[in-house]
Amino acid sequence: MNKIIDIAPLIIFVALILVLLTFLSEKEDQLESVLIDSTFPEFSIASLKDPKRNLSKKDISELPALINVWATWCIACRIEHPFLMDLKKNSVLKIYGLNYKDEREKALDLLKRDGDPYEFSIYDFDGRLAIDLGVYGAPETFFIDENGVIRERHVGVIDKRVWEEKFAIYLNE
Amino acid sequence: MIPEVGHLALIAHLVLCFFAGIIPLFGIYFRNQALYFSCKRISLLLFSLVSLSFLCLVYSFLIDDFSVAYVAQNSNLNLPFYFKFAATWGAHEGSLILWIFAMNAWLLGFIYLTKSDDESFSLVTFSIACQVMFAFSLFTLFTSNPFERILPIPPINGADLNPSLQDIAFTVHPPLLYFGYSGLLIPFAIAVSAMIFQKETKEWAASARPWALLSCSFLTLGIALGSWWAYYELGWGGWWFWDPVENAAFVPWLLSVALFHSLITSQTKGLFGKWSVLLSIFAFATSLLGTFLVRSGILTSVHAFALDPERGLFILGILAFFIIGSLGIYSLRDFSKPTTEKYEVTSKEFGFLLNNLLLVILAVAILFGTIFPLIYEAITDGRQISVGAPYFEAILFPFAILLGILQGFALYLSWGSTKSFTFLQRILIESVSIFTLLIIFIYVVFSSFNFSSFITIFLSVWIAMGTLQITQRFKSNYWEFLRRRAAVIFAHVGMAILVLGVAVVSNYSIEREIILEKGDSYLLEDKQITFNSMEDKLGPNYVSKLAKITFMDQSSDHEVITEKRTYFPSGQPTTEAGISSNVVRDLYISLGDNLQTDIWSFKVQIKPFIRWIWFGSIMIALGTLIAGIKQIRRS
Repeated sequence: MNKIIDIAPLIIFVALILVLLTFLSEKEDQLESVLIDSTFPEFSIASLKDPKRNLSKKDISELPALINVWATWCIACRIEHPFLMDLKKNSVLKIYGLNYKDEREKALDLLKRDGDPYEFSIYDFDGRLAIDLGVYGAPETFFIDENGVIRERHVGVIDKRVWEEKFAIYLNE
Repeated sequence: MIPEVGHLALIAHLVLCFFAGIIPLFGIYFRNQALYFSCKRISLLLFSLVSLSFLCLVYSFLIDDFSVAYVAQNSNLNLPFYFKFAATWGAHEGSLILWIFAMNAWLLGFIYLTKSDDESFSLVTFSIACQVMFAFSLFTLFTSNPFERILPIPPINGADLNPSLQDIAFTVHPPLLYFGYSGLLIPFAIAVSAMIFQKETKEWAASARPWALLSCSFLTLGIALGSWWAYYELGWGGWWFWDPVENAAFVPWLLSVALFHSLITSQTKGLFGKWSVLLSIFAFATSLLGTFLVRSGILTSVHAFALDPERGLFILGILAFFIIGSLGIYSLRDFSKPTTEKYEVTSKEFGFLLNNLLLVILAVAILFGTIFPLIYEAITDGRQISVGAPYFEAILFPFAILLGILQGFALYLSWGSTKSFTFLQRILIESVSIFTLLIIFIYVVFSSFNFSSFITIFLSVWIAMGTLQITQRFKSNYWEFLRRRAAVIFAHVGMAILVLGVAVVSNYSIEREIILEKGDSYLLEDKQITFNSMEDKLGPNYVSKLAKITFMDQSSDHEVITEKRTYFPSGQPTTEAGISSNVVRDLYISLGDNLQTDIWSFKVQIKPFIRWIWFGSIMIALGTLIAGIKQIRRS
């Protein structure tokens, strides 16, 4: 009996390592999004500002565009928020928001307070569209070209450096 | 040339660690005295090598050697020199060098400051630490080498240090944390070596205890500084976010607290030997796990390091090797030396047992909450959830209450069994009277009651009174009292102050979003907030919008400045909050957006007692530091 108790910590720890390991290898595949170079998925989800208005892929009309996944519970999103505001001011590119598993009121408050960089935000409460997109977490940003094809994806905060390295090249093409 | 010297020094460090890590083991296995060596010399040599390597990196930053990729990514010509210095540990690669440096410093301290008559025991302890340092050097050289060059054409200017790191608090925060994390290496190495030699619990606990205390001290300061930084730099006035990386530091902190308490019992009574071994292992394991979670990018958080799954795999490998190894030894060892010491439910031993159980369960619950989203995602095929503040607060609250109640009278418990409980009455009477006064004070200041805060406020008074009562035992001999109990008084009263700060700030804070035109005022409670002027300012590497605000009440007026900076190399904006603080409250204002000409939005907050949180933390750090130093002197 005592021997079993002595081995228990080891077994628990090995199990933990295995879980982390599977996750790590899964994440490697996941980050190579299968969606790159495929068209943006179809959806039909309510708008954040107007719950009665149903948005679909057709509403993302001005291309090329950025789709930015955000939420009020996501601290990193607040860090990138000012950059998106700048982008809206200084670039022709339109930004569409995907409000991810969030509370509507909190989200609207935040946009009112800190400014709204988005043409509109899709209110993806249960994360359905996010699953279709293979979203890994907020914040995350997708670039869609003029044909509605996803060309680039960035997981994490987007700032000037990321912008120039990953996204700006598509605008010059 | 200089970066290559640093690179070579690191390689030499790696090689030396490798041999120092295995030769003693052969020596002891074959009982060959010829293979024993002097730990003192080797540890000094290792320390010199890693210092050289570190200094070379610092030098490359100071002279703007942008041919070094790491410097080019994290520095800039316009960066002030002190931030160039701090940029050395501003990102993943350099922080690893600092980490290895910290491990070496601890090991050097351990070898030079502890007197040991058992040569083979300290030799094996030393070699285990060297093995860990070998793994870290290998990791650095293979996946995250800061000395890599961009040749033949180096960039003319660097990309700049992450603007939010360009701040005094944030340059000190990482080193403190790394020292805290890496200090846990020493108790770990001692515990493993103690298992190998089947050391007496009392003996090994005595040599591990100071290092657990010192690590805890550094962790406390590091975490508190991080929290303070987030408070004034991120611009929304929070001081703790339950961010995965914060949790990754909080869990080792909890375990280090549990560990040094458990080691007290192990040292004085020879009890909890196995438990202390496990805690030493897991405290170190969680500090490695924290590194893994941050550097592998499997959790997103404000602490964005460059994400690289390969690095994650490597750290997981290090973690697995050392922890599975040590737990393997643990499971094979025969600990069946039952102690004859008996203790009752009313004893100090039992108090420590409760303290440990509560801290460990709390640590496990927080760790679980932190990695649960990963597990959930793995078993539900990619569905995601986020575990946020409500979970952690719900978990923390009951445990904090139980720990606080225990802490209030724990100092009076006696070894074996406690005969009389009259002290409870005394503490209770004092606590109730002070509590009443405090509540009246709070009512006068905030003109409101918040009943949910009463439990926590009472708890803090209870802890403080319970701790201060101990002074009575020393009659009026304060010098004697200070000499003997200063550490515990500092740490426990610090905890009471921290709890009070948390209780008040989370229940009596006020927050408003306001819009002001230049020259306008807004009345918040009894304070008049006036927007005086708006200026443009040019810093060394940023441009900034700078608003001057006056807070005015009956007795005084203060001008504060809140800024929005845009750092030009990266284009990244930061907010600098304007804070006017005194002992009972902070007035906190952060600049929002420009709505029209001269019309800006602001976020104003009154944060009562918030300074107490950090003041309490500093006292805890000081208390554990004094205790650690005292323990070193004693051994």
